[in-house]
Amino acid sequence: MAEWTECMNFGMAIAREASEVILEAFKAKKDVMLKSSPADLVTETDQRVEKMLISSIRARYPAHKFIGEESVAAGEKLELTEAPTWIIDPIDGTVNFVHRFPFVAISIAFAVNKQTEFGIVYSCVEDKMYWAQRGRGAFMNDVSLHASGQQDITKSLVVTEIGAERDDVALSTMTTNIMNLLKVPIQGIRAVGTAAVDMVLVATGGADAYYHIGMHCWDIAASALIVQESGGVVLDTDGTEFDMMSRKVIAASSMPVAKRIAQVVRAFPCARDDECPNGMDNDCHGISNGQCCQGI
Amino acid sequence: MCELTGLTACKTHSRRIFLQGIEKTKIVMDDPWMECMDHCIAVTKEAGKMIREALQKDISIMQKSSPVDLVTETDQKVETLIISSIKKKYPDHSFIGEESVAAGAPSILTDNPTWIIDPIDGTTNFVHRFPFVSVSVGFTVNKEIEFGVVYSCIEEKMYTARKGKGAFCNGLPIKVSGQEDITKSLVLTEMGFKSDAQNFRTMMTNMESILSIPVHGIRAPGSAAVNMCLVACGAADAYYHIGIHCWDMAGGAAIIREAGGVIMDITGGPFDLMSRRLITASSKAIAEHISQKIQLFPCGRDDTEN
Repeated sequence: MAEWTECMNFGMAIAREASEVILEAFKAKKDVMLKSSPADLVTETDQRVEKMLISSIRARYPAHKFIGEESVAAGEKLELTEAPTWIIDPIDGTVNFVHRFPFVAISIAFAVNKQTEFGIVYSCVEDKMYWAQRGRGAFMNDVSLHASGQQDITKSLVVTEIGAERDDVALSTMTTNIMNLLKVPIQGIRAVGTAAVDMVLVATGGADAYYHIGMHCWDIAASALIVQESGGVVLDTDGTEFDMMSRKVIAASSMPVAKRIAQVVRAFPCARDDECPNGMDNDCHGISNGQCCQGI
Repeated sequence: MCELTGLTACKTHSRRIFLQGIEKTKIVMDDPWMECMDHCIAVTKEAGKMIREALQKDISIMQKSSPVDLVTETDQKVETLIISSIKKKYPDHSFIGEESVAAGAPSILTDNPTWIIDPIDGTTNFVHRFPFVSVSVGFTVNKEIEFGVVYSCIEEKMYTARKGKGAFCNGLPIKVSGQEDITKSLVLTEMGFKSDAQNFRTMMTNMESILSIPVHGIRAPGSAAVNMCLVACGAADAYYHIGIHCWDMAGGAAIIREAGGVIMDITGGPFDLMSRRLITASSKAIAEHISQKIQLFPCGRDDTEN
């Protein structure tokens, strides 16, 4: 809807401002803290950028709500209501950021009545602004994006994440999924280390599918809309309708490719973003202070 | 010819011409392979441009040894461009080029100056327009790598290294991260289907073993030569692979070494260009740690019949 265009343009402007902080820090030495596992890193820059984004948005739109990765980690409640809500990952690809591996993105999605109205993924090292507004197509800078349209899984290049999850069940499920896909066969597996950028590569046509289990709503809310607006599809890994809180996604160039991947990959148990499974034991949400995000 | 006036017998600048000639002779005598390297960089740039132009059009694909071993007309055209350009200038030099080697035939490296060429490293990426595609050239004399050039052409990053003279990306010096702690490292590798079930399983088990050390993460960009350059410039701390070829490794090997990194065989022994396997890393400590975790599986050699 046109009324959200102003919010989207504002979102892009603050993403660019925030990227200056990220790029400055990119070159410097970083102090790194661990969240839920040795692969779940956070830096002071993640926290600073999220505060910057949220305070800018609050100043302009005081009635809007937020779901931000670092705010949730600090104990804020994760809840998507009908109210206009900004869903933010200040640095998607923190491991990449720490290593200067050049895929680092700011991901901003905006939902109203629980429906995503626009999505912005700013891959800041590459200076590529991926964006989409519901019903209006997907773009990279000002170039229109189109998914590859590939319908044949055996000609597909598939992107996923390797190593985001480290417990035994998750690890062996992850490798079994990769092996089973390679056996289909597909043309190859790639991994660049940020869910947001991995997914927009499907929107560009540079890959034909992305799947992953275990990421969070803030990693995929924006890129899911960008994929849909480029002509691609998003589904849950079990082949049912996409649900950004389920922590599972397949994004693909076409429904046949998406469905075929859903037949092959298996999910490991993973608490939803909008539920707290066991009270205090909530490492799926990346809680760093031991407190459950739902206030239990 | 006088570079200033264009005259063949320019009295005004004859002394300058004479001194320029002395200068050039001195450079050649100091470093006889520098001129080859300059030529290599120029022709690799042209090759990269050809690849970028091909990406604007439809790409028709042929299969080589399997449904995942792709080659395109562009691979062949680029290799012809590079080889014919070099042959014209250096008719006595030898070549090992991916598309010139018949399927299964051995690649024999002699003492003769030899250009080892992969016209498109990352052909699957090229076919899909996935952004890591490179031209890779390694130059050997007496079986020693004298220089390497890897042009990641979609990103327009030209990586170069001359033995003893450092490594560069677009003219700026690069060096490895220096990371010595494996638990803080980012590791690159590639995964592909293997028809031998045991080898396939071993490849995946290796990946699980590395992840469980633990390391910070694993990435798979899809081009061996680019992977080596990512380690060389410090964006990753290690790259290991079983099953690539000498033309994938020759260019990157020079760049890694000159960036201060380490390159060795998967067993921990010295790097062997024809072995079809390698570990490259930011430090010996990381390379050795990875070597201890990796189980070998047979992958053949480039210098024997397959």
